[in-house]
Amino acid sequence: MNKTSKGLRLAAVGAVVALALAACGGGSGSSDAGGGAEPTKGGTLYYLTNAEQFDQIDPQRIYTGEDLAFFNGTIYRTLTAYKFSPDAAEATSIVADLATDTGTATNGGKTWEFTIRDGATFQDGSPVTCADVAYGTSRTFATDVITGGPTYAISMLDIPTLEDGSSAYKGPYTGEGQELFDKAVTCSADGKTITFNLSRPVPDFNYAVTLTAFAPVPKASDTGEKYGDAPVSSGPYKIESNKNGKGGKMILVRNDKWDPASDDYRKAYPDIWEVDYGLDVKVIDQRLITSSGNDATALALGLEPEQLGVIYKSATEANPEFAGRAISELDPYVRYLAINVQKVPNLKIRQAIAVALDRDALRKNAGGDFAGDYADGVIKPNMGVDYAPTGMWDSLLGAKIPDAGDPELAKKLIAESGEAAPTITFDYPQSPTADKAAAIVVDSLGKAGITAKPNPIEPGQYYGVVFDPEQAHELINAGWGPDWPNASTIIPELFTPTGGFNLSQYDNAEFNAAVEAAKIEPDRAKQAKMWQDLNTLAMKDVVVVPTRFGREQRIVGKQIGPVYLWPAYGSWPYGEMYAVQQ
Amino acid sequence: MVILLLLLTLVVFILFSLLPADPARLTCGKGCTPAVLEANRHKLGLDLPVIQQYWEFMKGLFVGRIYAADSPDPVVCNAPCLGYSFKRGEEVLVLIKDRLPATIWLALGAFILWLAAGISVGVYAALRRGRWQDKTVMGISLAGYSLPSFFLGLMAIFFIVIRLQLLPYPSYVSPFENPIQFFQTMLLPWIVLAILYAAFYMRLTRNQMLEVLGEDYIRTARAKGLPERIVIRKHALRAGLTPIVTAAGLDLAGLLGGAIITESIFSLPGLGSLAVNSVNDADLPVIVGITLVTATFIIVANLIVDLLYAVIDPRVRLVS
Amino acid sequence: MLALELAVADGPATPVANEVASRSLRQIVWARLRRDKLAMICLLTLIFLYLLAIFAPLICDLLGVDPYSFDKESISDSGGGPVGPWGGISTEHPLGVEWGTGRDIFAQLLYGLRISLLIATTATILTVCFGTVLGIVSGYARGKTDAVIGRIMDLILAFPFLLIILALSGVLTQRLTQLGVPDGNPSRILYLIIVLSIFGWPYLARIVRGQVLSVREREFVESSVAMGASRFRILFKEILPNLWAPILVYATLTLPTYIGTEAALSFLGVGVLPPDTSFGGMLGNSVSYFSVVPSYLFIPGTVLVVLVVTFNLVGDAVRDALDPRAGRV
Repeated sequence: MNKTSKGLRLAAVGAVVALALAACGGGSGSSDAGGGAEPTKGGTLYYLTNAEQFDQIDPQRIYTGEDLAFFNGTIYRTLTAYKFSPDAAEATSIVADLATDTGTATNGGKTWEFTIRDGATFQDGSPVTCADVAYGTSRTFATDVITGGPTYAISMLDIPTLEDGSSAYKGPYTGEGQELFDKAVTCSADGKTITFNLSRPVPDFNYAVTLTAFAPVPKASDTGEKYGDAPVSSGPYKIESNKNGKGGKMILVRNDKWDPASDDYRKAYPDIWEVDYGLDVKVIDQRLITSSGNDATALALGLEPEQLGVIYKSATEANPEFAGRAISELDPYVRYLAINVQKVPNLKIRQAIAVALDRDALRKNAGGDFAGDYADGVIKPNMGVDYAPTGMWDSLLGAKIPDAGDPELAKKLIAESGEAAPTITFDYPQSPTADKAAAIVVDSLGKAGITAKPNPIEPGQYYGVVFDPEQAHELINAGWGPDWPNASTIIPELFTPTGGFNLSQYDNAEFNAAVEAAKIEPDRAKQAKMWQDLNTLAMKDVVVVPTRFGREQRIVGKQIGPVYLWPAYGSWPYGEMYAVQQ
Repeated sequence: MVILLLLLTLVVFILFSLLPADPARLTCGKGCTPAVLEANRHKLGLDLPVIQQYWEFMKGLFVGRIYAADSPDPVVCNAPCLGYSFKRGEEVLVLIKDRLPATIWLALGAFILWLAAGISVGVYAALRRGRWQDKTVMGISLAGYSLPSFFLGLMAIFFIVIRLQLLPYPSYVSPFENPIQFFQTMLLPWIVLAILYAAFYMRLTRNQMLEVLGEDYIRTARAKGLPERIVIRKHALRAGLTPIVTAAGLDLAGLLGGAIITESIFSLPGLGSLAVNSVNDADLPVIVGITLVTATFIIVANLIVDLLYAVIDPRVRLVS
Repeated sequence: MLALELAVADGPATPVANEVASRSLRQIVWARLRRDKLAMICLLTLIFLYLLAIFAPLICDLLGVDPYSFDKESISDSGGGPVGPWGGISTEHPLGVEWGTGRDIFAQLLYGLRISLLIATTATILTVCFGTVLGIVSGYARGKTDAVIGRIMDLILAFPFLLIILALSGVLTQRLTQLGVPDGNPSRILYLIIVLSIFGWPYLARIVRGQVLSVREREFVESSVAMGASRFRILFKEILPNLWAPILVYATLTLPTYIGTEAALSFLGVGVLPPDTSFGGMLGNSVSYFSVVPSYLFIPGTVLVVLVVTFNLVGDAVRDALDPRAGRV
């Protein structure tokens, strides 16, 4: 779900997650921790992180998978939510959370209705009403204040757009176009039922509302840009204190106004969640491996490459002493290099870049089989029905392309292009591993006569730079995962001008039309086929060069469970985690 | 001195207004339109000419300032306002105050270690001039200041923490919270920094002592039959102290600005690591703030050192 | 730790050997240096290192290694670590291979040495030029010029220079590119050379200024003034020759400092672009792996230390040769 290291604020988070991912990759194996002990209430769970702060805490602005999972599991209830399960199919199905059921679609999928559950309250005891959900949703429209979050509300709700492509509704702060929003999102007289009127049929709108961007926000407590400093909880925990930076902590304590009877989704086992910011990655690994004292109930998000040999027997199996607390799983992300088609308009040149790239070396550098499998598109096999092999490396480019690249074929393609061998620049967020990957890009493209210049960008500034058309170059390092298990959160986002992650600057009228058609296709099987074809089409047009279906390794302390990578967000299943009582 | 400080703020301001990453764009998000960008720029005060930005900044220092005063959502930064980091949503002064303790502990601990080691070993070497002890000391000192700090730091972690496991991985806590972990964390960075600096102080002390010991008044003192201990301490060391005090004051001030490398190797939450992170994030207000604070330390230390001169060495008259 | 080590040269005890009037300074120093065995060994080592750097491509060719080619056979497909002990040391790769890519460490070292020496040597030469000229001008002109230069020096010395170099690297490298310096490493290297010189010259200028203040009062200067010699002539023909000693000492002690600083900067990420590597970059990379492959830390670290120590020893020896009173033993 969502961007890998995406988000404009994502300094350390992205760097570290990307680094850890890049170094890793692995197999399967999920199990309960603590020797199969029964989950019990109480205790403190520790979340150790190298990041000095959360990317975002404001519900409408959160957009990294791990953060969505964490805050959704602890403080923000959403109308619907993903099931907790290690099984991909199950974990990508939704259950009712704040709503009484998973929603009712009428009007051919253009109108969606949810009824809010009785007993759901905010941390001050006031009930969560339709108005709060509507207000929360409206905040997304204030794009000058609420930055960084997903913008599905803007693209899906039935509110006209202005000439410059922005919505006619400017959010609750200016109030411009408020009546348009109030028409699109309506509440029943008792304040229990919320109705979303959409501009087009969205068969999976009830998946979209799992995002905290659709979570309720009480209007009276909204402080605009600074809402994330003191957000109002609707979940089983509330923020007691939050101090960013090295040595800082976020403490979540029980929200005594939360009524378990109103929430059968969250288990709320621990009494306290403590997030420890700014720890050295090596310290985190070491502490979890040792797992003494408080660290026995601690978790973290990645592993340094040097620890892989200590913890794992192979990319799919942990050593006996770590069995049950180390995972190595496919994550939701696809790694790729976006080719800026505005700057590289010639298809043959783009093909030459894809053909010349040494994907084998890139994968080895990222950790070999710990890092995942070769990708053939932007839709991953664990997406279920939307995935089908694109044949990118078998036939799409006219020949079978070896994993290590085919410089001779690339040279031929350049010769056919009618252009001179290009000079391109490769943008990437700087880290030691990424520097080596850049060296591989430079070297392998160089063998085909393409001059590639590396352009390392400070990780914290990365997306700010590459989303600026004036600063972005020809080849851009990226990764993306779906926001929910429908490629409607991949293909349109990556390959259409209205998408939020179109690093390739791709704008193909025919393609756009096909995307619009697929978006509103009510038959899921047919829709899946359409996404598969669009994925293949984009690969054929070499809009991106997919490199890897990522895998990731993580460990936890000895007394925490359940231990599995929750496929919904490629994260820990925060909402049902517990400390094993000794 | 005040002029120097003023000049400093101006230079820092001009230097950093050249930075490429547009802070307005960085806070803008992906749905960024030119209008939003302009609004952001206005909020950050970046739409003003550099000189006026500077004026706003100086005003902030003395009377505080309000960012985006005309928006529904202004940010108040009270005097002395060193700026406001929109990236971190915090006043720069608060950020710096948060990070200062770790830096001060690091600097003070290392300072005490290196002065004690540097001066005592230096005196010892001077008294054994030309003998093997002296040569050994000078050899060690050479090695000490030839070792790049990051190599020394990484070696310390490798041997002490990873191989011998004498200490846990450094992980900073406040000494008031957990004194044991504090010392376990600080020990290596203290020693690493102290080795680098002590090497230099050994040489400095030794050379000073050699020079002073050759003076007539020392010979006189010895001829008077004063015990050697007293000759060394009361007469020689005191006279030779002036350049040591100068160097020590300036070095300490420099360290208070954050030992960037040592802090990042041992992952200490000090000013140095804040500085590196801010560079990474293009968090301009924080970079400007740290630069100013650090430079102020050095300039003030210069002044204090000058004053101390007069106390230590009555021959020096203060001329201003 | 620039300030610290430069302060060695900035210290109080570097008076010039004024007695050298009859025999040329060079002859005397050389004679003294030749008697110092340690210094001669270091000098030869340095020459050797420079030769290694200059002929790095040739040497790599001879050994059949190069810093850019990826040897996939030498690293494991599971994790990307080097195959074999000690970071994959073998006859093919005398010092092992890099994690994840299999690039040859020995070749990377030689090429790193090249960049390191290029930056440090050039920056030292520039520092000496700036420092000497500004020091002489400041000392001779006195008055307003002196005050202005003095203020500038105070200002520069007060800056946290590592932070400034880090913070400005992006924008200034870009500026250099706009000025026509080739994109990529040339502009990055030039940037480092320039900033190192800018933050380094005040130390030397202070020493030179002090010397000029004393030399200008001496009879031979006064007599040239009386004879109506031009100011330029007095500054550079009469006064400058008397300053060679402190300048030389300063230069030999600055060079190793710059090597260390350059390594520290590339450790922090302001270094050459991939696929090139430098000492600092190699050491920075080693952090993620050194509990498994310690040689990643020790090989570049040792070379770096050897380089700096030999330079420092030579510097010390030159100082002793110039002024036996103040030196070591």
